[in-house]
Amino acid sequence: MSAIEVIGLQKTYRRAFRRAGNEALRGVDLTVPEGSAFGLIGPNGAGKTTFIKAILGIVQPTAGTVKVLGGSPEDPRIRARIGYLPERLHLPGAWTATAFLHTVAKLKGLRPDGAAHLRLLERVGLAEAALRKIGGYSKGMRQRLGLATALLGAPSLLVLDEPTDGIDPMGRVEVRGILQEEIRRGTTLFLNSHLLAETERVCDRVAILANGRVLREGRLEELSRGGARWAVRFAPGVDSGALAAAGFQAGGADGLYHVEAADAAALNLALDKARAAGALLVELRRDGQDLEAVLTSTVGAAA
Amino acid sequence: MKRRRGGIWLALAVVLLAVGAWLMFTGQGDEPPPQAPKVDFPRRMRQEEWKRAERRRTQVLALAPDAGPTEATPRRPRDPVLAALPRGKGKSAVVIEANALRHSPIGELLVDCLMRDGGKRMDAFRQFSGVDPLQDLDRLVITDDGLILSGNFGNARFKELFKERVSSDYGPGARVYEPGSIVVTLPDGGTGRGQGDETVATWNDQLLVVGDTPGAVKDVLDRVEGRGSDEPPVISEGSTYGEMYGVVSVEQLARMLGRDQPELADQLREVADSVELHLDARSDVAMVAEIRGSDEAKVTDLGKSLGAALSVARLKAQADGNKDLAQLLDFAQVQPDGSEFKLELAVPIDAIRERLAFCRDAGQPPREAGMQP
Amino acid sequence: MRPLFGIAGYVLREAASRKFILAFMVGITLLLLVLSLSLKLEVLDGALAATRLFGNALNHRIVAVDVALRPLYMACAYVVFYGGILFGIVACSDFAPSLMSPGRIEHLLALPLQRWHILGGTFLGVMTLALCGAIYGSGGLLLIFGVKTGYWTLGPLIAALLACASFAAVYAVMLTTATLVRSAALCAASGFLLLVGGIIAGYRTPISRVFEEGLGRRLFEGVTLLLPRLSSLANASAELAASQPLEVKSLEMLLAGVLVFGLGALAVGFWRFEGKDY
Repeated sequence: MSAIEVIGLQKTYRRAFRRAGNEALRGVDLTVPEGSAFGLIGPNGAGKTTFIKAILGIVQPTAGTVKVLGGSPEDPRIRARIGYLPERLHLPGAWTATAFLHTVAKLKGLRPDGAAHLRLLERVGLAEAALRKIGGYSKGMRQRLGLATALLGAPSLLVLDEPTDGIDPMGRVEVRGILQEEIRRGTTLFLNSHLLAETERVCDRVAILANGRVLREGRLEELSRGGARWAVRFAPGVDSGALAAAGFQAGGADGLYHVEAADAAALNLALDKARAAGALLVELRRDGQDLEAVLTSTVGAAA
Repeated sequence: MKRRRGGIWLALAVVLLAVGAWLMFTGQGDEPPPQAPKVDFPRRMRQEEWKRAERRRTQVLALAPDAGPTEATPRRPRDPVLAALPRGKGKSAVVIEANALRHSPIGELLVDCLMRDGGKRMDAFRQFSGVDPLQDLDRLVITDDGLILSGNFGNARFKELFKERVSSDYGPGARVYEPGSIVVTLPDGGTGRGQGDETVATWNDQLLVVGDTPGAVKDVLDRVEGRGSDEPPVISEGSTYGEMYGVVSVEQLARMLGRDQPELADQLREVADSVELHLDARSDVAMVAEIRGSDEAKVTDLGKSLGAALSVARLKAQADGNKDLAQLLDFAQVQPDGSEFKLELAVPIDAIRERLAFCRDAGQPPREAGMQP
Repeated sequence: MRPLFGIAGYVLREAASRKFILAFMVGITLLLLVLSLSLKLEVLDGALAATRLFGNALNHRIVAVDVALRPLYMACAYVVFYGGILFGIVACSDFAPSLMSPGRIEHLLALPLQRWHILGGTFLGVMTLALCGAIYGSGGLLLIFGVKTGYWTLGPLIAALLACASFAAVYAVMLTTATLVRSAALCAASGFLLLVGGIIAGYRTPISRVFEEGLGRRLFEGVTLLLPRLSSLANASAELAASQPLEVKSLEMLLAGVLVFGLGALAVGFWRFEGKDY
């Protein structure tokens, strides 16, 4: 079953006295499987925040359908099962973290539980600051409180917009740990982060959104996979000509070569030829891409 | 996908705004609000009253034969009615401006009451006496010793009216009619003879003086002619404002209060020296009583007691549901000022009109018992 | 109804943390304290014999205490009415725009609430605040004068409640404005405009006579027909405070009309809020 199912989603923001609107989403089709950790990446202005607002019912789509947790996001019962952390969560500065959690719990229709709230604050690393006024919190602490708020009531779907924004590297590790715990618990995670390394480490599925359209979507390893291309490093003193004859192309670095091999037999045949020419193999790896490269290449290709 | 249905709210808004407009329109009503009653208390001489007083200075006294060089400057003309007033402490005199009162709203109501029989009695009196009370009478003064009427009595048939009395001249223009045997109309329509007990005097067809004794009447005439005491009259010219004004002796006022407020009456006797009254009837009937005493602290205490008594009366009227009386006492107040204080009371003309409404329809019996104080 | 009360509580909690509101409450308290300590009223059998404020004699007339206090109660009613509404406009103009600020409204809209709950709850919260302030101020006044004079009347309290009802209409318009433009200044401006319009609407009959017969007068009458008659309610509150007869034909209907206008304005806000993207 899908946690999020979006078909042909379009959103055009219209302004008064202007004939042409601003097309933020131009027919997005996307499915997020239940229990998955899904990352949405894309350049600025791609429509990521609009997409998140659309799946939460905050903006009304111009066209298309949105189904979240099997129902409409307009339905409060559906939204009750979603934990959301907005990109720039505004927190009341004069309140304490416990008071804020208490109020949000009531608004979520939950029975406020002080002990549970304290445990939650402890989990996000705010136990010591629980009774301090939010106004005195750092940006990272505010993000942690926002995350705690999203986790209230053990939601089935977590929608997080830049959850580690402002959090220090150690804190990111903690947050990542919490998110991985939630995923293990069976929560579906929908993550929008400009920190691609975070997305890469947490998510198993990724969609690339650019110019209001999903350009690529799939499992992370599928997206980053380089196909039949391998990177091979030989010990210094290798005969370049012999290697070229065996199908190896010189890479940028010293002793680094690339070779195309459709399967394991073809790869071993090429390696046998190289060793026969006196080359000594020191490293072999699939010639894949990181997420940044995938994003850059995908967006660049689409432009 | 479930779409938001905002149209329901818009339709509801239109309905609510329309209902709200109707409710407000009906609730407020479009008639102009009734004017709140505003009573004008007679507190000082007004310009027209100064002019009136000036017009009334018609009597020029001749210089006394033995007048010295200090009397060389001619005396100012004076008002013969004020001159006729009693003098000295403890004397009472109340002047009713009959002509002004007759042309006031309350006067018109009273005339309506007087003319309930179609004016037959008034006509009979006019023909009998030659005096039209509604036209010829200017002022009526009530004193301790009798009455003084001022006006135009040129057409009065005094000789026929007082033919049974013993008349004699008393100085230039003055004539005194002392009690003699008079013809009395009996209940069966016949006539009988009796003895009159009041002395009447006329002065220059302007004054008619009625007194208990010939001496009292002659005293009045003496004062008018400048032969009396040198003390000023009990009412000075500067106090002739309102449609009714005068000085009431403390004893008389205390006697009036005595029945309902014996303690207050005693306090009044003890503290006050004189009580000056002024009544304005030009629109609503408003009365100001100026009470003076020699002991400032006691006068202030008396003022407070009177204020409290009025307040209690008002609260009682409110508690009893007597709205009219409560409304009358709404205007009641006491204004202390050192060794004197002013007590102000008012009766809105509408309340009087309501009470005297039966006079307009002579065929209808009175609706209720008379108005309470 | 729970979400409504939840949002109302959220607004109240927010208000309680605002120094401005706290300063107002402290101000009212100080004013009441000054009045109770410095005002000396000498009352004899229901008559006000003397008034002293800071030791100086104020009133020389001796008159029934309720009559003597009428101008005071009327003045208080007008001050409570117009002053309360003006303060409410200024103090509460920021609530709705702040609630609709980026980062907060998305969070609220993502919670399991109907949209109208958010607006309705804000309205309810602000009205609770206004009601508390009005009851506190007028109740204190009533208590001070009652204790000092022995004359007890619910007039000032009723006047304060009428002021609250009027403020409900004004705030409904302010809230609706906030759904159109997220600006505290514009919200306050719309409140002021409605207050002025409401004062004019209360005198619409005498004012309409100033206009020439025809379209101008019809237009004026048409516009003011819809507006809440705030000056009429202010006058009624003063008359009630002074225990005097009312000028309006039916206060109940007028009051209901003003409240229904407020609900109507609020419904416009709901309509706008339902269709708005944040």
